[in-house]
Amino acid sequence: MTLIKRFTLAQRLFHLVLMLCFVTQAVTGLARMYITTDWGKFLASLFGGYYGTLNIHWWVGLFMLAAFCVHIAYLFRRVDWKRLPGSIYGPDSILPRPEDASQAVQHIGWLLGLSKYPRIDRWTYLEKFDYWAVFWGICILGSTGVILYNPVFSSQYMPGWILNVLLWVHRIEALLAMGHVFIIHFFIAHLRRNNFPMDMAMFDGSVDLAKLRLERPAWVARMKQSGVLKRQIASEVTMEKRVLFYILGYAVMAIGVFLLIGGLVNSTALVW
Amino acid sequence: MTKLSGRFQSLIGHHFDVDVSHNLRGYFYAGSAFRRYLEWLLFGLFLLFIFPVRPVLGQKEVITRHYEDEGPVIRKRLITLSPTAYKIRHRITMADSHLGLRFYQYRSCIDCHPRQARNLHKMRAGISCRQCHGTEPIAGIKHHYSPMNPKRRHAYICAKCHKGASSSFAKYIVHEPNPAYLATKDTFPVLFYVFWLMAAIAAGTFATFLPYMVMLGMRELLPHNFQWSIKELLVRWIKSR
Repeated sequence: MTLIKRFTLAQRLFHLVLMLCFVTQAVTGLARMYITTDWGKFLASLFGGYYGTLNIHWWVGLFMLAAFCVHIAYLFRRVDWKRLPGSIYGPDSILPRPEDASQAVQHIGWLLGLSKYPRIDRWTYLEKFDYWAVFWGICILGSTGVILYNPVFSSQYMPGWILNVLLWVHRIEALLAMGHVFIIHFFIAHLRRNNFPMDMAMFDGSVDLAKLRLERPAWVARMKQSGVLKRQIASEVTMEKRVLFYILGYAVMAIGVFLLIGGLVNSTALVW
Repeated sequence: MTKLSGRFQSLIGHHFDVDVSHNLRGYFYAGSAFRRYLEWLLFGLFLLFIFPVRPVLGQKEVITRHYEDEGPVIRKRLITLSPTAYKIRHRITMADSHLGLRFYQYRSCIDCHPRQARNLHKMRAGISCRQCHGTEPIAGIKHHYSPMNPKRRHAYICAKCHKGASSSFAKYIVHEPNPAYLATKDTFPVLFYVFWLMAAIAAGTFATFLPYMVMLGMRELLPHNFQWSIKELLVRWIKSR
């Protein structure tokens, strides 16, 4: 089995930080939203009641925004400024390209058995969508969260009824993010046949070359042509690390499923 | 450095008829267009530093001396209400808004105002009606000396818990209408439209990706000729008809 390096250490750390923060925010946020139900009171009791939950939600939110700023700095650092227009529209970039639209159509055709598998390069259109969805989600949740953090202060700059609206924006965007992660992202990363029981690429940073040839043929061909394929070969991670990654991944997935089911079951008793 | 072309050259170079692109310091020559922009920008920032933008929403009544402007006079409305509506509506200007209601003292607030019980202050913080609306007699909100009057609500009611509350802060809608209801379009249109915009984005995402997820799972789980066999079945079914 030949392993090809796919994510750098920094990228994996960003994912890890985002994952841990997201789960914390999901638990504390749902605890606040469901505080009138027994389930919400149970969630809040893990963090020391309603106000403890509130505090943790605020501080982790601020930490997440700081990490987001670090990520922006990282993006600026990674951009090849000398060959500017071309370098950020290339196939290694996470920015959407015209090919993505045609690949999406062709991929859906493949799902229906109507066409061949598209020649996908380094990123699929779905991965690009996921990345920019999180980007936009952090912008919306972060900005509304910061405004709602101190309503007495922020209402000096806007009429108080804006806070009513922003609270709803924060809620719906958070529900959308949680639903997307706990259902669609977890399914794609864990449960689909090609990745079952867990897609390790984001944790150990490498993917099997045979799998890459099937899933991202254009990337493998490009690496072969430019001769970097040999340099990209990674070594296998140790068994201990692998076990740790599995435990981490499944723990987060278990929390997500618990929140999803608990949230749906208790939604009838919810008071907004 | 290579010659700058296009917008940058035309922006700076054509003023002086020189090729400044060989050196980035060319941007900063005294009197260059870029230098002038920079100077104005710094001047603007300096002005902002001297006269910073201050929040004015909360200080309106201090500036206009709102309190002294109006006395306890009930102004005559331009369009008069129907007699029945007037009987109820004019209570918002009365000193005792529940004056003369039968069996008033045997009723709770929620008996007559059921919708008002659904608010975050009550549900989250466990605040009762009286903690904000006060003891008897409860003055109508438009009564000049009512603590709930928007002129002084922030100071008399909100600031009991939210220290430093401004009149803008008091514009927060405590008895928020359900944003999903069509009636909210008239009472709080921004909330209604923003709610449905966000809900549409969320619903659109799930409507796209849940079927996608199922399709992807099926495609990878089932034998690779499965889709072709579905197609064959379809063709056979069409031919048989």
